[in-house]
Amino acid sequence: MNDYPGRVLITKIGYDGHDRGSRIVAAFLRDAGMEVIYTPPWQEIDAVVSLATQEDVDVIGISSLATDHLIVPDLMAALGEAGLSHIRVVVGGIVPESEHELLKTAGVSAIFGPGSGRDDIVVAVRNCVTESRQNRTFA
Amino acid sequence: MSKNDNAVIERLGKKVMSGNVAALARSITVIENNMPGSDELMARIRAATTGIPVIGITGPPGAGKSTLIDALVHEIRGSDRSVGILAVDPSSPITGGAVLGDRVRMGNHTMDQGVFIRSLSARGHLGGLSSATFDAIDLLDAAGWDIIIIETVGAGQSETEIASIADVGCVLAAPGLGDDVQAMKAGILEIADILVVNKADRDGAENTEQQLRAMLELRHGKGRDVQVLKTIATKPDGVDDLLNAIDNHPNLTELDKSSSRRRKRVRTVLSGLAAQLARQTILAGSGTELDDIFSKALDGRLSLRHAASMAVSASLNANASDEGPTD
Amino acid sequence: MSKIASETVPVKSKSAEPARAVKSQKSDQATWKNAYDAQIGEDRVIKNRSGIEVKALYTPDDWSDESYDDELGYPGQAPYTRGIYATMHRGRAWTQRQLIGLGTPEEYNERLTKSLDQGASAISLLPCNSGFRGIDCDEAPTALLGTCGTVINSIEDMDAALKGVPLDQISTAVNDPSPFTLFAFLLGVAKRRGIPFDKITGTANQSDYISHFVANHMFYRLSLPGARRVFVDHVAYCREHVPNWNPVSVVGQHMQQAGATPAETMGFTLSTAIQHAEDCINRGMEPDYILPRFTFFFDISISFFEEIAKFRAARRIWARIAQERLGAKDPRSMRFKFHGQTSGVDLTSQQPLNNIARVSAQAIAGILSGLQSMHTDSYDEAISCPTEGPAQIASATQHILREEAHLCDVIDPLGGSYYVETLTDQMEEKILEVMEVIDKAGGMYEAVEQGVVQRMIGKSALAHQQKVERGDEKIIGVNHLADHEDAHEPAPYRPDRSKMERHVTAFKEYKSARNQSDVLRAIDRLTKAADNEDENIFASIVDAADKGATHGEIIARLREDLGFGQPLVVE
Repeated sequence: MNDYPGRVLITKIGYDGHDRGSRIVAAFLRDAGMEVIYTPPWQEIDAVVSLATQEDVDVIGISSLATDHLIVPDLMAALGEAGLSHIRVVVGGIVPESEHELLKTAGVSAIFGPGSGRDDIVVAVRNCVTESRQNRTFA
Repeated sequence: MSKNDNAVIERLGKKVMSGNVAALARSITVIENNMPGSDELMARIRAATTGIPVIGITGPPGAGKSTLIDALVHEIRGSDRSVGILAVDPSSPITGGAVLGDRVRMGNHTMDQGVFIRSLSARGHLGGLSSATFDAIDLLDAAGWDIIIIETVGAGQSETEIASIADVGCVLAAPGLGDDVQAMKAGILEIADILVVNKADRDGAENTEQQLRAMLELRHGKGRDVQVLKTIATKPDGVDDLLNAIDNHPNLTELDKSSSRRRKRVRTVLSGLAAQLARQTILAGSGTELDDIFSKALDGRLSLRHAASMAVSASLNANASDEGPTD
Repeated sequence: MSKIASETVPVKSKSAEPARAVKSQKSDQATWKNAYDAQIGEDRVIKNRSGIEVKALYTPDDWSDESYDDELGYPGQAPYTRGIYATMHRGRAWTQRQLIGLGTPEEYNERLTKSLDQGASAISLLPCNSGFRGIDCDEAPTALLGTCGTVINSIEDMDAALKGVPLDQISTAVNDPSPFTLFAFLLGVAKRRGIPFDKITGTANQSDYISHFVANHMFYRLSLPGARRVFVDHVAYCREHVPNWNPVSVVGQHMQQAGATPAETMGFTLSTAIQHAEDCINRGMEPDYILPRFTFFFDISISFFEEIAKFRAARRIWARIAQERLGAKDPRSMRFKFHGQTSGVDLTSQQPLNNIARVSAQAIAGILSGLQSMHTDSYDEAISCPTEGPAQIASATQHILREEAHLCDVIDPLGGSYYVETLTDQMEEKILEVMEVIDKAGGMYEAVEQGVVQRMIGKSALAHQQKVERGDEKIIGVNHLADHEDAHEPAPYRPDRSKMERHVTAFKEYKSARNQSDVLRAIDRLTKAADNEDENIFASIVDAADKGATHGEIIARLREDLGFGQPLVVE
């Protein structure tokens, strides 16, 4: 029932534009059999919610180089308001240790710093897909 | 299916028909993966379908397809119609995964409530994708959308099949893409109802146009009646003419009854699925009847053509006991 | 036959004779090879980032100086391999130009003043990411303002940022993508201060719009064709009105950071330079009118010798291109002038103090490459925008290399090295191969539109990632000698929230206090210029800035007129 390919949205919110990492992670997930919806950077939070709805994604991966992770809590809130709290969110990029708590409290499932291994990322995302599907509110 | 599941499907169907976007998106996932209840769901919503027009846009990388669709969506919205876009990307035949990057430039419409965009992966399933696409079209139809665009790259056979579901198939060419027209797979050009030369302000645009017209000259009868339009999607220029040509295309105006349009579509998809089913069965080749036919074809007692005909019947028998289609 | 290896030679004291190899023994290659093979154990094939195999030893068999004059020449003369000027760093050290960008204009001014006190000889102003996005500070979430660059949205902001800075005496680089609003504000400030435009020196960093469509999608605001038009207008305006300003900085940084190999990066960048030059020449500008003001900007990775060879080869190639392809006659057109920034991609957030060593290695490579100006990263760059302490160390690094290690004393000290010369030749070959691919695609603009470049970069990026995953590329502290008990993480820089909020309020007040009809008229003139091919759009931007139009307002209008810059689809 749940073994169809995981659907993962990979995107960037805020203003940074560096996308080398997000492209590589998209390739990792594809090679692991998942369907990745890949967007350019600079997405508004509203747009991400809309995308996530239409594409019926299980997981959202936010790539953040600079400080864009600071508005991830706003994204989490927006997802909740839109009835999408089953979607799991992971953050990849540069997140100082001192700010991990902020994200975890907001509900982020995992944070991947630079040097994270491919297998760790794939396994974590797979688990998020499973969790997401178990937590759907309808259908 | 349990009573519970039944209730869930009923609720889902109702929500789709009332225009709920989340329900629509969820439903597409359900039918795409042939999840339990998908047949029931589709049965419920079919009654609400009206047979909305389906436009196919196909083109090789670099032709500016994405920019063109963006501009086309803008035009459609200007005519006060809502539009659903199914963006089909090839998937890895090995891992089954895909990077669906079409969202990349449809950024202008993300916040527009009158635009729905869904990325579908081709999943390497010949014909399987066309039935999912067909169902997705019906779902969008039942949800109240006015017009649909199916976008494909046009590189694979499954995509040619998808494109043939469209009422009006537009195929894009652009100057400066290597061998231009020659490089485009013949199959794709065959299904074109309208040919579009994008980046018409570039060197070589005239040349591309000539090549396409020359190709059309070689055709007979109705095959010649394909319009060749020029656009500059980045401006945009000529996109209003394109929408006009689409809206006024005989495929949409002659098959005026939307139900006959849908009928044509059903037939196309059905034949594709049936062919796939037969193909799978014959290739799997089990059962004494099929084995027998195969041996006879192998040693020449039956001509291949004759054998094929017999194999189709045999595969029907083999499938008669199945409960339903599998992907 | 040599017995040296196994016997001890009795020492004879002959103090008058210099200690040299005993005359009857001659060193020979075969002997070395045998000894090497016997002792090396497992000898793997080593390839550098550009895919060139790196041997254990280089000798005159690999490269000899018989064609010294043709291949190397002398500094300041064709083929310029050894340097673009006769004196190079010995005559004038590279410019120490540290990027600074953070917080409000006032905070920027504070940090800038400190940097100048610490010996920086030039300015590089980095605007806030919201600015790169093309919007004003009152349109962005406050949490994201000033985190990685300074918020500068108007002439007032620029004036505050450069308070006390003698614009007519110090070279000012602005990181200012198309449509060059920051530069327009700078000119506005110069006008206010009564400084004639011909006294303004510096560079329009990030003016290379093509690089922004290829990688690191930070900076696109206008559509690709729109950006092309503004670029040429901007060059024309600057050549006429701000003659000592470098309006063109062709950028190789983004591509290398996105994963292009050093050879690919140089090939793409030189191809881009050709594209820009041709666009200007097609507009009627003479090659010698524009090329002397073309500069380049590159990342300096930690692949030490590869970087040096990359830049030496580039000097040679560019001189040839300027002459043979672009028709330049003036030697100043043939000079490959470049600014180097130590690559942030090589830095790690694990054990960040190690980055000091990395930056030093990168900086040395840059200096030995003969760069004209340099920015050294701070060790906390991998965590946030630099804080003061680390920024000071980055600055001191350059001083130490210059004053203590005496790296300025000799011009092109690696010239003549069998290895470096061989590698320079090999890099040249690879670079030219890449340029041929671009030529076949119809030039860099076309190649980027079609996604040719992006695909190549993506491939290289993935290949490198796989090397790292396999452990073939070792990164200390990350996949090698990783210490999971990493105690030291520097506190990230975060802008002062209340200062920023006050700034945004002041900005709103500024906007409402302006003469609105003047501003609107100036903005409408942007449209008029955009609609008329014979008008110079940049001139109208300068005028709009002068009349008080803001960064966001100018860009919003130009986006309407010239197209909104979207990333290019690469399938």
